[in-house]
Amino acid sequence: MQGFLNDLAIMAPAVMFNIYFALASIPLGFVLAVFLALGKASRNPLINRLSRGYIYAFRGSPLFIQFFMFYSLALSLNISVWKPLGISGFVLHPLFIGPLVLVLNTAAYTAEIFYGALRAVPRGAVEAARAYGMSPAQQFRRVVWPNLIRLAWPAYTNEVVFLFHATAIVYFALPVIGAQADLMITAKTLFERDYNAFLHFSVAALYFLAVSLVVFFIFGLIYRRLMRHLPPQHGLRFAPKWMR
Amino acid sequence: MTDDIAFWLSYLTNGKHLTWYASFQFTIFAALMGGALAVLFGLAGATARNARFLPLRVLGTIYSSIVRGVPDVLFFLFFPLAFEQGVEWLVATQVCSPAMVAAQTAAWPPCREANWILGTPEYLMLASVSLGIVYGAFATNVIHGALRSVPLGQLEAARAYGMSSRQVLWHIHIRQMWVYALPGLSNVWMLIIKATSLLSLLQIADIVLWADRLGAPNFLPAVGLVHADWRWRYYLVLFVFYILVTWLSERVFEAIMRRVGKGILSEAHA
Repeated sequence: MQGFLNDLAIMAPAVMFNIYFALASIPLGFVLAVFLALGKASRNPLINRLSRGYIYAFRGSPLFIQFFMFYSLALSLNISVWKPLGISGFVLHPLFIGPLVLVLNTAAYTAEIFYGALRAVPRGAVEAARAYGMSPAQQFRRVVWPNLIRLAWPAYTNEVVFLFHATAIVYFALPVIGAQADLMITAKTLFERDYNAFLHFSVAALYFLAVSLVVFFIFGLIYRRLMRHLPPQHGLRFAPKWMR
Repeated sequence: MTDDIAFWLSYLTNGKHLTWYASFQFTIFAALMGGALAVLFGLAGATARNARFLPLRVLGTIYSSIVRGVPDVLFFLFFPLAFEQGVEWLVATQVCSPAMVAAQTAAWPPCREANWILGTPEYLMLASVSLGIVYGAFATNVIHGALRSVPLGQLEAARAYGMSSRQVLWHIHIRQMWVYALPGLSNVWMLIIKATSLLSLLQIADIVLWADRLGAPNFLPAVGLVHADWRWRYYLVLFVFYILVTWLSERVFEAIMRRVGKGILSEAHA
């Protein structure tokens, strides 16, 4: 029990790194994903091919490899580019390159979700907007986007939770600098000290579960707000059936 | 020109590169074995979730929701370590004498004789099992949904023929479920392929580890600097490799779905 409380205290700063990686990459990934989804739906063949290829490549390869690839690419450019500019300490820092790769990765997954939602936007609504004489920009802002985000929100919630889970492998691919260790590295170091796998990994798992639940809660609130024009859904009812 | 070709030929077929090519077998084995186990765990989990007995239902639900609520890496690291320790503990209860325990200085295992040294084959097997457990939780969800989308009339007809509930489950329900489960299972398979890149975390000398070793700046006293830091090129090769594998699996799954979907109403593919 004492060990459990100790672990909870030791890992509280560590979880902040995971939260930082997720928070730093969600907004930019969201914006990039909107553009990629529009690009994938675009009629311009060049933009269409590029966005399609980007989404396919980043969804079709492991994040672990993407981390290694971008980090080693940044390393090989170090002498020729970053050093002369004097920003090598910044560019090669895990706290910069980690969110960078996460943004590139999550943008592809989110774009696929948004693209699916974009295709599911009711045709009639768009046609009505055109009949009202709205410009394409107005159509998007007033009709397409509100429909799109409502359709995409549940899947986007899942993607955000997956992104948070993906932050667990950041420090397996990038160097750990000093005491800047996330949940997984902390759990692993503690394990190597006293070989108590059950305790340390369970506490790390608890932190991941807890943050995931918070994400689900917050995104659920936003979803309720997005759907406030519809009659409220029935909440969960507790009605156990012991034997059926 | 010919010199260049000769250099590249000999460079790409040197011993280290051949070992790298051979290490693809670990990745492929882990993916196939992990996939097969994931389907097995998924079937078990889904039938548990559909069971009549409440504790079994709770167990199935807990399995699929807890494992999916935790990052795959965490479980991927935890399961092999925990399994190894469990075996060592079991062995220790049989082998260790108090004198041996007193002589042991490290925190684990209880005595030196109970130490279980795992090689690549053992780690590979453990990695496949943990892939199976983790992605079995995803497969549980998929199969659970697929079991519910089998038309009720089919099951009623089977029952009307006098089949027992077990016969209905095995001969009708699970047989017909695959068509509905395939799209979801193909997604789970893609996740498994991508998760095989993590094998190096379990000290398996897989393609990622070899790419790192081969790409590191290479200096030979006799020749001088063979190449600078080429790691990104090797990782780029792996990046493309995984995209190709994804593309190939997509084509295969499409072909299977077209074949299996024959004679089934088309909303099954939607």
